[in-house]
Amino acid sequence: MNCDSLIADSVSIGLVLVDGTGRVCLWNGWIELRAARPSAQVLGLTLGEAFGARIDPRIVLVVREALDFGWSSRLSHALHPMPLPLFQPGSEHGERMLQAVDVTPVDIDGERCCLLQVRDVTETVRREALLRQQARQLREDIQRLSRAQAELQRSEMRFRELARQAPAGLFEADSDACCVFLNERCEQLLGHRLAQVAGTPWPELLPAVEEARIRERWLLAVESATRFAEEFRYSHPDGSPLWMRAEAGPLRDPQGHISGFIGTIQDVTEFHERASRNEFRANHDGLTSLLNRDRFERHLRAAISGAREVTDRLALLFIDLDGFKSINDTHGHLAGDTVLKVVASRVRRVVRSEDRVARYGGDEFAVLLYEAGDEKTLSAIVAKITHAVALPINLGHCHVRVGCSIGSAVYPDDSQDPLGLLTSADRRMYAAKRGQPF
Amino acid sequence: MRAFSELEMDALTEAFNLSLGEAAATFSAIVREEIDLTVPVVEFVSREELTRRLQSAQDGCADGRMCRINQHFQADEGFSTDALLLFPEQGSLEIVRRMLGDDTSIEHITELEQDALAEIGNIIINSCMNSLAGLIGSEMVGSLPRVQCRSIPRLLDDKAPDNLILVARIGMSMSAHNLSGFVLFLMDVPSIDNFMAQVSRVFGLPEALPEAK
Repeated sequence: MNCDSLIADSVSIGLVLVDGTGRVCLWNGWIELRAARPSAQVLGLTLGEAFGARIDPRIVLVVREALDFGWSSRLSHALHPMPLPLFQPGSEHGERMLQAVDVTPVDIDGERCCLLQVRDVTETVRREALLRQQARQLREDIQRLSRAQAELQRSEMRFRELARQAPAGLFEADSDACCVFLNERCEQLLGHRLAQVAGTPWPELLPAVEEARIRERWLLAVESATRFAEEFRYSHPDGSPLWMRAEAGPLRDPQGHISGFIGTIQDVTEFHERASRNEFRANHDGLTSLLNRDRFERHLRAAISGAREVTDRLALLFIDLDGFKSINDTHGHLAGDTVLKVVASRVRRVVRSEDRVARYGGDEFAVLLYEAGDEKTLSAIVAKITHAVALPINLGHCHVRVGCSIGSAVYPDDSQDPLGLLTSADRRMYAAKRGQPF
Repeated sequence: MRAFSELEMDALTEAFNLSLGEAAATFSAIVREEIDLTVPVVEFVSREELTRRLQSAQDGCADGRMCRINQHFQADEGFSTDALLLFPEQGSLEIVRRMLGDDTSIEHITELEQDALAEIGNIIINSCMNSLAGLIGSEMVGSLPRVQCRSIPRLLDDKAPDNLILVARIGMSMSAHNLSGFVLFLMDVPSIDNFMAQVSRVFGLPEALPEAK
C-alpha cells in the first residue's frame, strides 16, 4: 500500500478509492491538499463523512452504480461544475474549484471497489471562455465587415450609375496621365473608347499647339499636388474643332502619394465662341470691324506707356472723309455704309498689320502707327492713305469718290500724353479740312 | 443466424424504452428542464448497411460529421460489446450548448463540451446496457465514455466489418431542439451467439417476459 500511496501521491489528479462497503481506502495527496483533510482522518469513512456531506448527490449515486452494477460514469464540469468541496491550494475557502469527475469500478484482490478521479478544469474553463469571447468578437467583426461591404457595394453601384448618367465627362488618370476610367459621356466628347487611349498620356490626344502647354501644366499639378484646371483646343476625330475644359483633383494612395487625378471634362466650345464674339463686339465697330474708339484709346495709352521705356516714336493720324455726307444724301445710308467699309479696308491695307486702325465715329477714322519714322516717312504714309481713299468706290450701280483730311501728331514730339496727342491730331485734321496750314 | 420474431423485437424495444425513460428523467434532473427521449426503433444490421443509412439520413447536412460516444462492456463469461451513441455533430453541439446556456458559434466541439456530451452518452448507454444486462442475466462492467467526431464513412472503421450491430434509433428533444441519434451495440461472433441464446431463452418462454423488464 505504501508503494501504491507513493504512486497515487505523484499524479496530478485527485484519486479517491472507495471499497465495496463504500468506505474510503485511498485519499491521495492531491485531494488532501484541496479538501484540507489529511488521509489519516478520512480512511474508513464514507464519502459523505470524508467530504463533510456537502457533495453532489449524483456522485453518491454513480459510486453506488459502479459498486453494484460495474458501471463507469463521467460527471462533466458543464453539467456538474463543482460536485466536491475542493478548493485551490492557498485560497480562502470561498468558492469551490472547477472540477470534472470520472467514476470507474475497479477490481482489487477480487473485491469490487470504486475509483474517483478528479480533474481541475479551471484552466480549461478559462481557455474556453476566452475562445468564446474571441469567437463572439470575430462574429461581430464579420457582421460589421459584411455590413460595410454591403454598404460599399451599394455606394459603388450608386456612383457607377451616377457616372454613367452624368451630363459631364468624367475621367480618372494615373500619375503618368494615362486614363484608367472614362464615363460614356467622356468617351463621346473625346471620340475615343477607353480601351483605345488607356496606354496613352491624355495630353498626347490634343492638337500639337496645346500638347506641350497642357503636359507641362499637368506635370506641375502632379508635382505640387494641386488642382488641375485648364481650357484647351481639341480636334474631335469627326473633324470638329472644340474647346474643352478639364478640371481634376489629385487622388492619393494609402501612403499619401499622388496616385492620379479624377475630374471632369466639358465641351466649352459654345461658351468660347460666344465669349470671343462678345469680346469682339465690345472692342470693334460693328460695320467696319475696325477697333472702336474706346479700344483704340486704350491701345494708344498702352503704346505710350510702352514707348516711354524704349524711346520709340509713335504717330497718331486722324482721318475725316470729305464728301461723305453728299453720298449718304444722294445714294442712301446703305451706300454710305459701303463707302465706310471700303475706306476701312483700304486704310487697313496701307498700314502694317501691327498698327491700329479704328472707326472713331461717323466718318472719322484714327490710325496708330507704332513706328512713325521721320517726318518724311510719315508724310508718305499720309499720302498713301489719301490716295487709297480717293480711288473710286463701286456701289454696284455706279462709282463714287470720297476724299479725306488727315491730321497727325507724333509722340514724343507733339505731346507725351494721349490726350495731348489726340487734341493735336484733331486740330491738325480740321486745319487740313479747312485747307489751312497749321 | 435466425431472425428475431416480431414479439421478441417488440420486447427488446420495450426494454430499451423503459431504460430511456429513466435516462430522460436523469437528464431533466441535471439540467432542470424537460427532456424527451422518443420510443426507439430497434433492429439488427451490418456495418455497411448502417453506414449507408447514416449517410442517407445525413444527406444535405452541413459537413456530415457525427460524434460518437463509445463505451466498452465486458461480462464475466467472455461476452463483450462496444456500446456506441451516435449524434450528428452539429445537432449535438446545439443541444450541448443549449444545456450549457451558451450558443456562441464555434465550429467544432470544445473540450468541456466533449466532456458534457460524454456524460450525456454515458447516461443513455448505461441505461440501455441495464436493459441488455437484464436480458443476459449477467453483469456488464463498463469503461469510461470516449468521444470522437468523425465523417460518416470513417465512423465505424475501427470495428470489425462482420460485427452484428443491434441498433436502437432514438430521438431526443429539448426546448425547440430536436436531435436524432442512434444507440449501437457491436458484438463479435461469440457474443452474438451468446446474446441470441439469451434472448431466445428469455423471449422463448412467455412467462419469462416480465423478467426482461
